[in-house]
Amino acid sequence: MPNFTDRSASPGAARPLAAVWFAHMVFLAAPWAVHAQLPTAPVEGLRDASPRVHAITGARIVTAPGAAIERGTVVLRDGLIAAVGPEADVNVPADARVWPAEGKTIYAGLVEPLAEVHLPAALKAPATATPGEGGRGGRGGRGAAPTTPTETIAPAAAARSWNARVTPERDVAKVLVADDRGATALRELGFASAVVTPGRGIFRGESALVSLSGRAPNATLVRARVAQHVAFEVGGFRDGGYPGSLMGCIALIRQTMLDAQWLRAALDAHGKNPAIERPEENASLHALFDYVTAAKPVVMDAADELDLLRAQKIAGEFKLKLVLRGRGTEYRMAAALAAKKTPVIVPLNFPAVPEVETPEKAADVSLATLQHWELAPANAGRLAAKGVAVAFTTAGLRTPDSQFWPAVRLAIKRGLAPEAALAAVTTAPAQMLGVADLVGTLAPGRLGHLIVATGDLFAADSTAEITDVWVDGIHFETEAAQKVDARGTWTVAWRGATAPDELRIESRPGGGPTGPTAPATGGRPRARLGGKDLTLAQSRNQLTLLAPADVFQGADAKGTVRLAGTVTGGMIEGTGLLPDGTAFRWSAERTAAAEKPAAPAPREEKFLATTDAWPAGAYGRKGIPAQPGWVLVKNATIWTSGPAGRIAGGDLLVHAGRIERIGKNLAAPAGAVVIDATGRHLTAGLIDCHSHTAISRGVNEGTSAVSVEVRVGDVLDATDVGIYRQLGGGLTVANLLHGSANPMGGQNQVIKLRWGAPPEELKFAGAKPGVKFALGENVKRSNFTPPAGTPVRYPQTRMGVEQIMADTFAQARDYERAGREFKDGRAPLPPRRNLRLEAALEILKGERVVHIHSYRQDEVLMFIRLAQREKLTVATFQHILEGYKVADEMAKLGAGGSAFSDWWAYKYEVADAIPHGGAMMRAAGVVVSYNSDNNELARRLNTEAAKAVKYGGVPEDEALKFVTLNPAKQLRIDDRVGSLEPGKDADFVIWSGSPLSTYTRAEQTWIDGRRYFSLEDDAALRAAATTEREALAQKALAERMRTLAGGGPATGARRGGDAPAAAEPPAVLRLLEAIEARHAREHQSIYHDGADALNCTTHALQ
Amino acid sequence: MLAARASDSIPAVRPGKPLLLRGATVHTVSGADLPATDVLLRDGKIAALGQKLAAPKDAQVVDVTGRHVYPGLISACTGMGLTEISSVSGSVDLAETGTLNPNARAQPALNPDSDHIPVSRANGILTALSVPVSTGLIAGTSTLIRMDGWTWEDLTLRAAVALHVYWPAMAVNRDPNAARPVAEQERTIAENIKRLREAFASARAYLKAKEGAGKPVELDSRWEAMIPVLRGERPVFVHADEQKQIEAAVAWARAEKLKITLVGGTEAWKSADLLKANDIAVIVSPVLTLPLRREDPYDASYANPGKLFAAGVRFCIANDGGSPMADRNLPYQAGKAAAYGLPPAEALKAITLYPAQLLGAGAELGSIEVGKRATLIVTDGDPLEIPTRVEQAYIDGARIDLSSRHTRLYEKYQKKYEQLKK
Repeated sequence: MPNFTDRSASPGAARPLAAVWFAHMVFLAAPWAVHAQLPTAPVEGLRDASPRVHAITGARIVTAPGAAIERGTVVLRDGLIAAVGPEADVNVPADARVWPAEGKTIYAGLVEPLAEVHLPAALKAPATATPGEGGRGGRGGRGAAPTTPTETIAPAAAARSWNARVTPERDVAKVLVADDRGATALRELGFASAVVTPGRGIFRGESALVSLSGRAPNATLVRARVAQHVAFEVGGFRDGGYPGSLMGCIALIRQTMLDAQWLRAALDAHGKNPAIERPEENASLHALFDYVTAAKPVVMDAADELDLLRAQKIAGEFKLKLVLRGRGTEYRMAAALAAKKTPVIVPLNFPAVPEVETPEKAADVSLATLQHWELAPANAGRLAAKGVAVAFTTAGLRTPDSQFWPAVRLAIKRGLAPEAALAAVTTAPAQMLGVADLVGTLAPGRLGHLIVATGDLFAADSTAEITDVWVDGIHFETEAAQKVDARGTWTVAWRGATAPDELRIESRPGGGPTGPTAPATGGRPRARLGGKDLTLAQSRNQLTLLAPADVFQGADAKGTVRLAGTVTGGMIEGTGLLPDGTAFRWSAERTAAAEKPAAPAPREEKFLATTDAWPAGAYGRKGIPAQPGWVLVKNATIWTSGPAGRIAGGDLLVHAGRIERIGKNLAAPAGAVVIDATGRHLTAGLIDCHSHTAISRGVNEGTSAVSVEVRVGDVLDATDVGIYRQLGGGLTVANLLHGSANPMGGQNQVIKLRWGAPPEELKFAGAKPGVKFALGENVKRSNFTPPAGTPVRYPQTRMGVEQIMADTFAQARDYERAGREFKDGRAPLPPRRNLRLEAALEILKGERVVHIHSYRQDEVLMFIRLAQREKLTVATFQHILEGYKVADEMAKLGAGGSAFSDWWAYKYEVADAIPHGGAMMRAAGVVVSYNSDNNELARRLNTEAAKAVKYGGVPEDEALKFVTLNPAKQLRIDDRVGSLEPGKDADFVIWSGSPLSTYTRAEQTWIDGRRYFSLEDDAALRAAATTEREALAQKALAERMRTLAGGGPATGARRGGDAPAAAEPPAVLRLLEAIEARHAREHQSIYHDGADALNCTTHALQ
Repeated sequence: MLAARASDSIPAVRPGKPLLLRGATVHTVSGADLPATDVLLRDGKIAALGQKLAAPKDAQVVDVTGRHVYPGLISACTGMGLTEISSVSGSVDLAETGTLNPNARAQPALNPDSDHIPVSRANGILTALSVPVSTGLIAGTSTLIRMDGWTWEDLTLRAAVALHVYWPAMAVNRDPNAARPVAEQERTIAENIKRLREAFASARAYLKAKEGAGKPVELDSRWEAMIPVLRGERPVFVHADEQKQIEAAVAWARAEKLKITLVGGTEAWKSADLLKANDIAVIVSPVLTLPLRREDPYDASYANPGKLFAAGVRFCIANDGGSPMADRNLPYQAGKAAAYGLPPAEALKAITLYPAQLLGAGAELGSIEVGKRATLIVTDGDPLEIPTRVEQAYIDGARIDLSSRHTRLYEKYQKKYEQLKK
């Protein structure tokens, strides 16, 4: 018996006691009398009344991961397991059919947690739904590719959610279709049951457990409403529906959960007092009751490692019983998964070997891609090692029949314990999805699901195959069981022909694809007769051999001799035809087994990819930089942006991340890191008051005029290389804003550029919450022509913009009153929480400040008056290129101006933009900042500030404040950052010269007293990335050479390699493609190349 | 409507008499900086250069003591005159429809009343190459303009500078989940390059027929327009940013025996050796852009000109084409390149002498030399530094108005605040 105490960290660990118990006890089900069920469907012809009692004897039985009976018996009765135990302890029932299985190994039938078997086509996931990662041109990774919502395919209920993608009431059990083929395909791999999962929508619906007998759903449906399935799916252009962005999707999930909680409470209140108004009927929300109470699991689909964190956060907010569906990069977040004990379903579709054989191709392969190629097979092992429960799914495999087992074994080879691998296909999925009482282990009362294999299936080098699968006590023989191995040396007896008597059938060396994703069956065999090559084809036990006539009839003979043979054990019986049509017979006896090709020496699995750095790929960091106790920067020209002004030859002393002192000739405390900054300039870290860097999958929720419930903070992309590049330009803080596609956009997020930290740790704690509003051309959608059929959205004029804002605030006030009335006992039904109106209310109360995209003076004045009426706190007018025309009114309101320094002429409403605007607003008493709204410009805000000197004559130190103290004031973080003053955060930049000079570059950028960027560190990171990249490329090359030389499938032509040549698409289609390409850009998946996403100056598409 | 709306600037009158700029530090660019030097402008040319020049009797003398004289800056890739407001399609004439437009000419589409002209020259941009854009392969011919005049004929310095080829995109998305399979992407790239080869082959066949047939051939406007290129009289400017595109373009030029200059060249630093070996110059357009690949150094684009210079590749620095809204920031592109490895003197050349040479106007523009056009600026400092002001500018010896829509709006609204104070 294995020692289970060692295995406490493995996923099987939840069951060590049970496993011991399984192994030592004999299980017997209650011996009640049973009759076959009389099916509701009438049987045409004679019924099948074969006895349904079976005993499989003599096999090694693995009852659960880590629990084996060396020689045991399993008894199946009426579709269930009746008994399992050691041979000596289990009596074979008298009425049982006996299946001797000496030398075989029996496991529980495998459990597929995410199947599409028996699912109507309309509910299957679209073919391209699997997201990819960046790499060159990789922002097309279509993680958020628009899909058709399920509701438009077929509504599931009448009284249901307003949103087409919210279909939690869709009960897969009610729509199962016959699918013998799908069931057979899974069964061939060893699966006996599957959880059928709807593949479309955000709330996709409830899954069902089915048996894989391939029979009608009446017989195969085991349990309905197993789990709710949720994915971060967004709408596309063509359906134009909310949500159009990831942040909108998360907001919708949150609101739907709240609505379900509310409906439960409201029904409860109504039940107690039926005299009050009834709450609305809503089947979608009803369907969620079991999930908001954590009675059943919610499976959330994570397109990348950041989605994992998002799902955990949502699950935490609503106390859901969370199961994650990963996409293969979960190892990068193993610690977070372990910390919250989140079980995860992982795919086995490991990436193909990157094509690095030419420099040109290699340039398209990023380091992150190379790393993931190497590490993907280690995903499950690394998660399991951290104690994360892991289940495998076949979902995502293009050819499961050839990929599944090799992938499982590769995972084992790359570090997954064999018992954990067994658990990943049996007990883990069963437990995650709450069906462990039915499937996953061999015990009395469980479904009669088991597999019989020729040996240990779960070993890295296993060649064992499954010969039998039992589903609901029904026996199925697999294709593998029918396979005949004809290899060996045969002695032939010819009758009616003459030829050499030695026939050799052997594996063709190097005859097939190799490598991790190649089938384990090896190369195709070849045949030689008397030393001459024959053409060989084999189908099951039928051999077809074609021989040159000279083998039979001497050197001069022409033509081909045809041979056919049937292999039975060690014998072949066959017939033949000579070229002239003369028939003959032959037989053969195997006299020697095939020489086994020498097993390749087991290779030490040495990983070359960095795994302790994040984000993956170049410039990843091993944790955030260290924070020295004391840092002393000596002898710099210090632009304090504070009351001390500019200090020549100044010193800056930092203690534990805060500024301790600024002065001259400061003494270095013991152990201080001392930086000689002679000749250098020192400023506060730069602050960008308008950025869209580090936002995942959409900066606009433009599908609705009002979307203040969406939160940029939900979708931070800490892998965006823009963060690192902007550190290289001295930027330390950015205000990440929703786009400008709608009048009342979304909630912003102020971050510090803590490259290497996970998303939540980027957030600037204590920054004043804010929201993005927008005016003018973008919100009235005047700068693009939407595709035909797109609904016209209100507003279409500046007139309507004012009205939609005022109307929303009026709604928010009514909402507040309704809440008060319920509290005071004046309203019987609890009010429904509405996150959109709550956010509007926060704005009205001044708890959330407004950043408003605005250009023309008329709209600016309109909003000033609105803000005065509604008593809004306006933090900034953004862009505000005509702010100079109404700067006095802005100053009276106390609003800041966060502007482009000198942009103009990109659209009509900026025709009057002038570069003197910043200086003019400042002169009128407005706090002015210059921002970027652009990933490139964000790298050089220091020289943008110099434009305030040029245009309007702002003094140099005041101009620098446009990118330091002033944006800090606008963001209400000036108590912490924006200037170099004692007590403030040690966010600072060391420059090679004056920060206002174009000739200057940032040499070091510090945040919280930690050095996040320096020229030296950058050089080291570049060198490390190059070294790692080349090492991985060499490893990949070794695999690629085998693929290329072996004539195996070219991994590059993975799909559609034979697609017809693309004709030039018609103009209309080209336009649509351009729009969609743009959409895809905005919805870029993580690990992209860092190109600018849509910003507010380009015309928002939605 | 907007394109037709005239700027308020009045073109300068060419002076009838000489003009002497007295006492400035003259940055000749082609040679040494000359302290306290006088520059004599006559008949639109720089007539003399030296300390304490005697003023001709009829000369107007302008004291610029303590000031700096530089050659006018040259914007070597811009949509100047071809586009006014990007989102207003009625004001945009940058790109003709279709993929093969060798016969499209920038020159007659140039709007001399564009507000971009006074706005840009206020910061010293006195010469520009107006470049047509293409969404396909061949955009047309560019025109070199002086930034002052009543008509496009007044503006024209060189009617047709180069034929502009936009090299097809060659990036392949090798993500297994990419929307289009790799093979299909590669096929599209190959087809586009084939289309370009075909165009040149057809043009050659047309020329051969025209020269050799001895009878008139029917006019094909496209191939007709390419004849100067085929005869080596006009260069091809190939717009390409990625290393793959650049290397493919170089191979193509060798095969076609064409003189090419690269425009764009974001990744030219990766192919510097190849460019040097083939003596292909690069109009770096622009410097202020993001690296194309995640793994590239964060400063790859900033360091690009410095690396080209170090490798001995001929180059100049330009904006990014299309809207001229940022043309006035051209000198800061050069300044940034200087911060990341380009010697500062080279940075200045990269927006004066080098573009003049690459645009075939090296004998006339780009430096302060006797005999060259008197197209120059007077500043209070280094024009590559942002706070520096351009105080005077001369185009062909005529002092031009440095006011613009922007300065006029600035003045107008200062009045508002003055009134409020009263």
